[in-house]
Amino acid sequence: MNGEQRMQTNANEVIIETHGLTKLYQMGSETIHALAGVDMQIRRNEYIAIMGPSGSGKSTLMNLIGCLDTPTDGEYILNGTPVQGLDDDELARIRNREIGFVFQTFNLLPRASALHNVELPLIYAGIPAKERQEKARNALATVDLADRTHHKPNELSGGQRQRVAIARALVNDPSILLADEPTGNLDSKTSEEIMKVFEELHASGQTIIMVTHEHDISERAQRVVTLRDGLIESHDAKADGLMAGV
Amino acid sequence: MFVLEGIWIALQQVWAHKLKSAFTLIGVIIGITFLIAVITVVEGMNRYVQEDFAGSLFGVNTFTVVRRSRISTGAETQERRREQARNPDLTLHDVQVVRSAVPDAWRLAYSSDRGFDEVSYKDRRRRNIRLIGASEGYEALQGWEVTRGRGLTPLDERRGLKVAVIGAEIEEKLFPGLDPIGKEIRIGSQRFEVVGVWDKQGGLFGNIRDASILLPFSVYRQTFARDPSDVDQISVKMRSLEEMEAAQLAVEGALRADRGLRPGDENSFWIETSSELLDTWDKIVRVLFAAIPGLVSISLVVGGIVIMNIMLLSVAGRVREIGIRKAVGARRRDILIQFLAESSTLSIVGASIGILLGIGIGKGVEAFTPMPASVPPWGIALALTLGVLVGVGSGLYPAYRAAKQDPIVALRSE
Ligand SMILES: Nc1ncnc2c1ncn2[C@@H]1O[C@H](COP(=O)(O)OP(=O)(O)O)[C@@H](O)[C@H]1O
Ligand SMILES: [Mg+2]
Repeated sequence: MNGEQRMQTNANEVIIETHGLTKLYQMGSETIHALAGVDMQIRRNEYIAIMGPSGSGKSTLMNLIGCLDTPTDGEYILNGTPVQGLDDDELARIRNREIGFVFQTFNLLPRASALHNVELPLIYAGIPAKERQEKARNALATVDLADRTHHKPNELSGGQRQRVAIARALVNDPSILLADEPTGNLDSKTSEEIMKVFEELHASGQTIIMVTHEHDISERAQRVVTLRDGLIESHDAKADGLMAGV
Repeated sequence: MFVLEGIWIALQQVWAHKLKSAFTLIGVIIGITFLIAVITVVEGMNRYVQEDFAGSLFGVNTFTVVRRSRISTGAETQERRREQARNPDLTLHDVQVVRSAVPDAWRLAYSSDRGFDEVSYKDRRRRNIRLIGASEGYEALQGWEVTRGRGLTPLDERRGLKVAVIGAEIEEKLFPGLDPIGKEIRIGSQRFEVVGVWDKQGGLFGNIRDASILLPFSVYRQTFARDPSDVDQISVKMRSLEEMEAAQLAVEGALRADRGLRPGDENSFWIETSSELLDTWDKIVRVLFAAIPGLVSISLVVGGIVIMNIMLLSVAGRVREIGIRKAVGARRRDILIQFLAESSTLSIVGASIGILLGIGIGKGVEAFTPMPASVPPWGIALALTLGVLVGVGSGLYPAYRAAKQDPIVALRSE
């Protein structure tokens, strides 16, 4: 933390801030440092790619940021609110309102239609049925699936499933969209389509953090954070100039 | 919303696995079927006993003097029973005492009866019948309607005519397609001329009256009575309940005086009324209703345990679903409610099937007996409430297990 960063905070709202974020796993007598103290800041409308070799802690970091998991140590401040110490229900609320999570394996309810899958976060937000359906339809339209609302996941292609998952992540208007290797299960052509969707979302103001292995994908991000052995190896803020101008 | 979700998921599962669901729900189905069947039958019997049976057996505003109580209420002591066993037989002298005690009786009749082997007409026979030797007016007092021919008359009695009025079942058996009036039937070694037939009662209690043969008392006494001085019962019918109660007291007093009983002595006879029968019926109903909770709760507990196991399996197979729901913002209580709704729906489906089966059994009883099947709304409400209770009770632990899943662990499963 230095003065310069604070200045930027005021100019360009920080929505995620971590200090010494640590996650340990105990495997028998061995302690695995999945995250060994991560400090980072993410501002509104950033598009960040997280890279690093397998096992470097990328997913662990995403799960912590997404409030799916709780850190062993360290601080995590989301929209000015320290997340540690929140109870289960408050974390559920944050996952519901502030976070949109896109998984490598889609994680759709297999027996539910695309529309119902997208409605799910709205159901838990307590939004009335009519408004819910309208929002869910709009979200599906955003990812070009307006004509697939009643298809079940197994009636959709991989790319379509991931777009349903993106619609679900977006539908409650989250502060941040998290995607952990969203194209990991897709062929390169479909990956390309999905990346376009993310770019459009970013262009319309969405903050995005994405884990990816592929350099050509990471190149589209404004900033690449590389993890190694649970630590940040480098911040490659190649779009610094652009960000300073925002 | 997730209540609907739970209900919807449960209904889909029941529909998709009909046979498995039937087995899953068998405990609840049996318990509720039993509950509803008993309630239906007892309520129906209740109405029947109150509206028809008591009236048809004893007649309205009627009381009957007998040697000792024929209805065991279960309340008398051993000693009381032994004492009653020492009561003297009623005789024609007692009939005179009763007659002079209630000169304003609307109807008064006395009778004796016994079971008898068979009655025959030519080569047709009906076995296991009842012979009733009765004074004139007996059928009317019983409320039996002679539909063909005539009833017994004082003349039959005085002349000792060998005439008989027969029940509908006997007519059907001996005279299919024939007119029984004027035909000679054979009872034991004696021949009797059929002079009348009374209406059929049918059903469960119909045997008593439909398989009976009525003979003039004097003829019965000479031919069939085991002890010729015996009168089994003396019945008195009055025009109103108040008159009946007054007449009952008068008869009681007259018989006591005639027998020389002192103030402290128990009656050496017994007076039956329809209200006595109704009291007894009330007691039977109370015993039945007291037995239901035990039997029903056993099957419901078993049913609940089965549902609980099914729900545990269901939760175990849907950990990932739970993870997904939690990842998009489901709170513990949302998951809890979803699974409780699911188990309750299962249980209510079982209860509904039980209600239908129970009503079916009630309707079956209605079809084969004169009793109306009567399903009171409170019975259905009770069954549904029990269904919800079993569902919530059996779902609680599985739902709790589901609700406390850690989201990240749940998402990693499978
Ligand atoms: N639930 C867990 N139990 C034990 N070790 C784990 C668990 N989750 C992750 N790890 C370990 O933590 C490290 C980081 O994992 P992860 O964040 O999944 O890496 P990445 O997503 O970068 O491949 C790895 O060494 C992994 O084996
Ligand atoms: Mg990973």
